Amino acid sequence: MLRAAFTTKPTEGGRRWRRLFLLLGGVVLLYGLLAPLTSLDALQSAGFPLLADKLWFRIATATAMFVVLASAWNLVGGLTGYAAFGNVAFFGIGAYTCGMLISRAHWPLFLALPLAPLASAAFAALVGVPLLRLRGHYFAVASLGVGVAVGEVIQNVEYRGTPVFGGSTGLFLPIFSVDNRDLVFYFLMVGAAALTIGVTWLVLRSRFGYGLIAIRENEEAAAVMGVNTTAYKVAAFALAAALTGLAGGIFAQWNVFINQENVFPIEYNVQMILMALVGGAGTLFGPLAGAVFLYMLIQFLSGSLPVSLDLPFLPSDARPVLAQVILGLLLLVTVIFVPRGVIDFFGGQSRLSLAYLRRSLRETSV
Amino acid sequence: MAAAQLELRQVTKRFGGVAALDGVSFSVPPGQIFGIIGPNGAGKTTLLNCISGVYRLDGGDVLWQGASIAGRAPHRVAALGIGRTFQVVKPFASMTVRENAAVGALFGSAEAHLPPRQAFERADEVLELVGLAGKAALPVTALTIPDRKRLEVARAVATRPRLLLLDEVMAGLNPVEVDEALEMVRAVHATGVTIVLIEHVMRVIVGVCDRALVLHYGRVLAEGEPRTVLKDRRVIEAYLGERYARQQGG
Repeated sequence: MLRAAFTTKPTEGGRRWRRLFLLLGGVVLLYGLLAPLTSLDALQSAGFPLLADKLWFRIATATAMFVVLASAWNLVGGLTGYAAFGNVAFFGIGAYTCGMLISRAHWPLFLALPLAPLASAAFAALVGVPLLRLRGHYFAVASLGVGVAVGEVIQNVEYRGTPVFGGSTGLFLPIFSVDNRDLVFYFLMVGAAALTIGVTWLVLRSRFGYGLIAIRENEEAAAVMGVNTTAYKVAAFALAAALTGLAGGIFAQWNVFINQENVFPIEYNVQMILMALVGGAGTLFGPLAGAVFLYMLIQFLSGSLPVSLDLPFLPSDARPVLAQVILGLLLLVTVIFVPRGVIDFFGGQSRLSLAYLRRSLRETSV
Repeated sequence: MAAAQLELRQVTKRFGGVAALDGVSFSVPPGQIFGIIGPNGAGKTTLLNCISGVYRLDGGDVLWQGASIAGRAPHRVAALGIGRTFQVVKPFASMTVRENAAVGALFGSAEAHLPPRQAFERADEVLELVGLAGKAALPVTALTIPDRKRLEVARAVATRPRLLLLDEVMAGLNPVEVDEALEMVRAVHATGVTIVLIEHVMRVIVGVCDRALVLHYGRVLAEGEPRTVLKDRRVIEAYLGERYARQQGG
């Protein structure tokens, strides 16, 4: 059973971990915000050393993007307990909303961007009403279906012989001409990540959040205690969609080119869920920690990082496969041994020990 | 006669061809403790589900202070000030005892609806009332069955109901625990809440109820003052069986 993190009183050991964790997090955050600034022309001409090159910008921006995806998924999957497998649809809808408005209607980015979350949220509210009547596996499969279908529809819908959304060619957006583009998109994505964490923080402290957790724990009991379960579930779904759509919108302009493949990838669904689970679903910082850790791991394993593992017996084209295998193993180990996520050790009630793993194994075995 | 707070008129509920409730009518004036008894499968829990909006009626009407509430969703029934417990307890397992009760105070009847801080204060009051104050900080998984039943009541009371539907809160308790639970029911009633109580335990019906109704195969078999109802020959035959009849005789 997942535990509501905001409610637990940490143990003495947990408190020490939490302090260390917060301190480390603070240092990383400060570095993450300040280091990229050294790429500004003014600072460069003043002789500052460049702390972040283009590749690191790209990786950091993508990491922030996954923080948004995993944390937004957490609102539905972690807090409400509905395992949504199709959130990538909202990412794609956000990206295409931005893409169409910018490339076809020639809107400026900052006018188009707010519409991306709106479009995604509207779509989520629409499909959420019938979808969220389903529970458990049925909901998971149906949401996956929606996730796949939306991408197909967007790629294939035609009007008088011409594809409406660019078809299989996709959409090309005019390059956002501004100085220090990398820096702008990095801060945009980090801003979206901060917004998502902030929204989660607010939700966890509100009546809304308690209602969602009550639904997760026992929907019938929640209903007779006065929780409007349908409205709450749809609201959580739409909120997650809005945040996911925002990331999609930023991605569209950042990447300049979007098509079905790069904004509706099915593996994003799995990755965002895995990130939330590994970090700790239902907690505030779990999905953040999971996203940073797993994204780095995926990139490292697939050889996209400047530091990579060179194993003599491993041909370089086998690396993505190895990444998949390791991710699969990680999912197994997490679900069986660390069902509450690693964040449980950092300020939670538990301490990482052999006894903990044994207890988890007992809890999770049938 | 005082105006009824809750009134059922010819309430009917079918599952396939089986009529779980077949034209059940009764009314509960404000301030009463109203007991409903009946053998297993008599339709007692179905009746509560029909009142609290978990089931839709197939016929008849449920009136709350004179206005029909049939067909309303459970959360809207709760908002009117009708709280309930479940026979099979349904705690929010990841939360502490205090948080469970606080959810009741955060939602529930429209005038209750407290913001989080006050909701936790209200939760503490309610836990005091049902005798769980000392266990507020525990996770619910650490509670015994009698305590989980108390928590079930605490959550419902926290919603500030004007009517509380209790579904076998004393089933499975030993005599000492039943006495404690009776005290709890009286304490809740003393705060001005009307109570409809489903029970198996005779002592409870006689001990606290102002009025009792016997349900048998979805129909009302008898209704009246508890002692009178329990002496009714049809009731003894249909529900209490030979053993109780012998006890009455001996």
